[in-house]
Amino acid sequence: MKWWLDFSSDAFIVAFFLYCASFISYAIAVGGKKWSNRKPAEHAARWGKIAFVLAAIGWLAHLTFFFTRWYGGGHIPTSNMYEFMTFLGMAIMFAFIVIYAIYRNMMLGAFTLPLVIIIIAYASVFPSEVQPLIPPLQSIWLKIHVTMAAAGEAFFAIGFAAALVQLIRVVDFTRTDKAGRRAQFWTEFSLYVIIVLVGFIVAVFAFRGAGYEAKFTQETVTIDDAGNALTSVGEVKYTLPPLVAPYNSETESFQSFMGIKKPLVEAPSWMNGVNAGRKLNTVVWSIIAGSLLYGLLRLIARKKLTAAINPHLSDIDPDDLEEISYRAIAIGFPVFTLGALIFAMIWAEIAWSRFWGWDPKEVWALITWLFYSAYLHLRLSRGWQGTRSAWLAVIGFLVVMFTLVGVNLVIAGLHSYAGV
Amino acid sequence: MFQNTKCECGHQNPVGTVLCESCGKPLDEALLKDENALLEMRYDGVARRSQKANPHFVDRIWNFFSSVKIAVYLIVITLIGAAFGTILQQESTIINLTERSEFASYYKEQHGTFGVIYHALGLSRTYESWWFIGLLVMIGTSLVVCSLDRVLPLYRALSKQQVRKHLQFINRQHVVYSGELTQNKQEWLDRFAKELKRKRYRVWREDGALLAEKNRFSRWGPYINHIGLIVFLLAVLGRSIPAWHMDQYLTLYEGETRQIPGTNYYLKNDKFTIDYYSDEELASNQKGTKVVKLYETKARLYECTDVCDDPTREPVLTEVKQHDIRVNSALAYKGLKVYQNSFQEKVRFISVHPTLKDKVSGTDIGSFDLKMNQPAEEYKLGEYALRLIDYYPDFGLDEQTRPMTKSRDPNNPAFVFRIAGPGIQDQGEVYVYFAMPSEKSKYYETILNESFKQRGDNSGRFSIQVDNPIVDGQMNNIEYSAFTTYLNIRMDRAMPYVWVGAAISMIGLIMGFYWQHRRIWLRIDGDKLALGGHTNKNTYGLRADVAGALGKTGIAVDPKTLDNRRNVR
Repeated sequence: MKWWLDFSSDAFIVAFFLYCASFISYAIAVGGKKWSNRKPAEHAARWGKIAFVLAAIGWLAHLTFFFTRWYGGGHIPTSNMYEFMTFLGMAIMFAFIVIYAIYRNMMLGAFTLPLVIIIIAYASVFPSEVQPLIPPLQSIWLKIHVTMAAAGEAFFAIGFAAALVQLIRVVDFTRTDKAGRRAQFWTEFSLYVIIVLVGFIVAVFAFRGAGYEAKFTQETVTIDDAGNALTSVGEVKYTLPPLVAPYNSETESFQSFMGIKKPLVEAPSWMNGVNAGRKLNTVVWSIIAGSLLYGLLRLIARKKLTAAINPHLSDIDPDDLEEISYRAIAIGFPVFTLGALIFAMIWAEIAWSRFWGWDPKEVWALITWLFYSAYLHLRLSRGWQGTRSAWLAVIGFLVVMFTLVGVNLVIAGLHSYAGV
Repeated sequence: MFQNTKCECGHQNPVGTVLCESCGKPLDEALLKDENALLEMRYDGVARRSQKANPHFVDRIWNFFSSVKIAVYLIVITLIGAAFGTILQQESTIINLTERSEFASYYKEQHGTFGVIYHALGLSRTYESWWFIGLLVMIGTSLVVCSLDRVLPLYRALSKQQVRKHLQFINRQHVVYSGELTQNKQEWLDRFAKELKRKRYRVWREDGALLAEKNRFSRWGPYINHIGLIVFLLAVLGRSIPAWHMDQYLTLYEGETRQIPGTNYYLKNDKFTIDYYSDEELASNQKGTKVVKLYETKARLYECTDVCDDPTREPVLTEVKQHDIRVNSALAYKGLKVYQNSFQEKVRFISVHPTLKDKVSGTDIGSFDLKMNQPAEEYKLGEYALRLIDYYPDFGLDEQTRPMTKSRDPNNPAFVFRIAGPGIQDQGEVYVYFAMPSEKSKYYETILNESFKQRGDNSGRFSIQVDNPIVDGQMNNIEYSAFTTYLNIRMDRAMPYVWVGAAISMIGLIMGFYWQHRRIWLRIDGDKLALGGHTNKNTYGLRADVAGALGKTGIAVDPKTLDNRRNVR
């Protein structure tokens, strides 16, 4: 079994690097069209093909990772944050291949692959060891509900990627009126948010590599069933230098970092998720690292990032992208309904004796569904097609990501996973 | 505003018609003005039921709910409201509090001023609030009205379609082609129709004009989905019918049988098992912690068949079901479901098996079973008889240091026996026996027996004790329950309807999203060929269909050039 798990992690690394290679090839395909002594169309076609083949082989390695881990671990690897996020990455690649098979649009790969790379790198932040299943998860519905929900969300991710390309494609940098500036700002901001996510991953791995650690003792007060206040003291370990200390805590050990010898602030009391202080600290670090990274990219490009990408997209038709985005969402919507709502209700009925309990995760799945319902209805009227529906597709995926990650970070509930 | 609704083709259309029901010529003023604009093909341009010239009061309400715009507003308000409900914990998840004032102070303590505002606004009960349920009811109404408003006119329009359409109708579709036809008109039409039939289109022809259509059923998908959602919402509302719904908790220690309140059923917990993962099975960051592998209640369900309502007699129970209840495996019997909710590690006496000893002769007189729950009053041990004259399940002393029981739970059971037999004074000897093998209990036992002796109630000749209470580290001659199981008993008569609603909804979604209604209109005037195609989703697929069929019949076109949006811009 151990051998299979080791093999599985090797396959994962192979998949990761193949995805990176595929992304680079896509970047060459898009960015290198105007290089000398080549025909742009041929160049794009050749490198686009190379990139797609690399992505497909990467996906096979990813599948190998999944099934060997399943075999070696004894249960489907979708039971904690690491496993779920890697699965989501795999599902997005599946959705990408499906949509690519229909539309053969290369730009889609150029934007899906970085998304997948970010998601599986994000997964790697979490402990990757196989954990045995606790009784509530010992059910066939772990396989059915989680995989279907992730598949639906994966198509939403493709809808998001296509919408983002469309937005970058149609931004008009010559406009100086209010609406034009707003479009320029928010498109750029979307890229910034993605770079902050990258910053998060970079920060975590950099400090992990350096072996950074700080410890706090935190006093938490809980109220038991009989109404008594119970005080418990727990230890909170930080792997990023603590700018934000846990609420109601005392420093136990602290490696000084760039002259910082004690936390700057304490987390507010209302953040009541598990390890809220540490998560807030992580968010702060992500923004710092992401902003530095963004600044660096701006220095290299010497203009807005969207403005740097925009000229390379001139030969694609925004209407095609809009249709791809809509189609991906239309394919994902029934899958999401079935996986994230109906199967979830069936499982909740089996395990928790009620099909719906207004648990934050359930509510956010419903919010996601309502949001995409609104999107589909708005698209009926012509006024919402084009840029406006692209923005909805982008916001929709933010809602998805909040449901998957944010709920676990900010709100405590039944679906709590371990998290950094 | 009055509209001339009579089309030039002679067809009289209802008010609100965008495209003539018969020939498809645009009637809407905005569409007439801009000759190049694409046609608005929603619901095929027919007038919706709500588009009346002189709306009544009832019509106005109907019109309000028939608007998709209103529906979207309702959806968005509901989703924002639902999101507010997740900011702080909902009251329903705080099990130990019941009073409004308790909740108020809870939110104040836990979340400060924000908590006070949150609670005062009623957001701590978002999902039970009048406005949230009101929104759901309004969404339900909107689903019904929107669907009826559109589905009937659409059905009418699609079931009697004209083959020959107005040229403007054809040329202003999303997918268009126009060109000279150099081939023989009839032959080309035959071949073109054949190609479309091979792509599973149904084809109608009418002298020089053609209509091809496929997957019309997909148009009904959204309406079937909406019917499913309505059934679902009604079923959810149906759960508030008291007789349809039961939700209660039962706590059972091992070996205990209890009636499920409000039913004729009794439930027994034969045994509760809990199992933890061994250290080898755990991940390295879990080692040393207790991770539960399994917990289950071996349960039996009984139905009362006789003497059910007589409190003085024992009911007659018949076993109807046995099941090992786990988190993902409930006991189910005739719509009644028993779920494993949680458990508590709590030692509780069930029975002991003590021995009566004669300390003077050093002999064992006999042993007997002593139950903590409703113990028997007489115990015969050879020539001796023990009579239980007092029982304190939870022994304690009151303010005047008189013995009393603190509760009905056998937390520290004390039994007072009167022993009669050979060589014992007439009124018998009185002994107290504490079943709990703790130092404190045994101390009480000694003191009380000593005081009885001083009063002359006993001679100190006998003792009651458990032989070998511990063998190999296991309790011996003592039966106890280590865990109390918490079971959730549910009955939900509405659930089948909830699932039926969900299933209908899913069928509708799949119909609507995975197939697309595609239509192609074509007319040949002289040697001019005009083709228009429409689909509600996936124009890409339709363009490929059209370009494929044209290509096979000698008109080579790139699918992209068929896209009318490009031509318009």
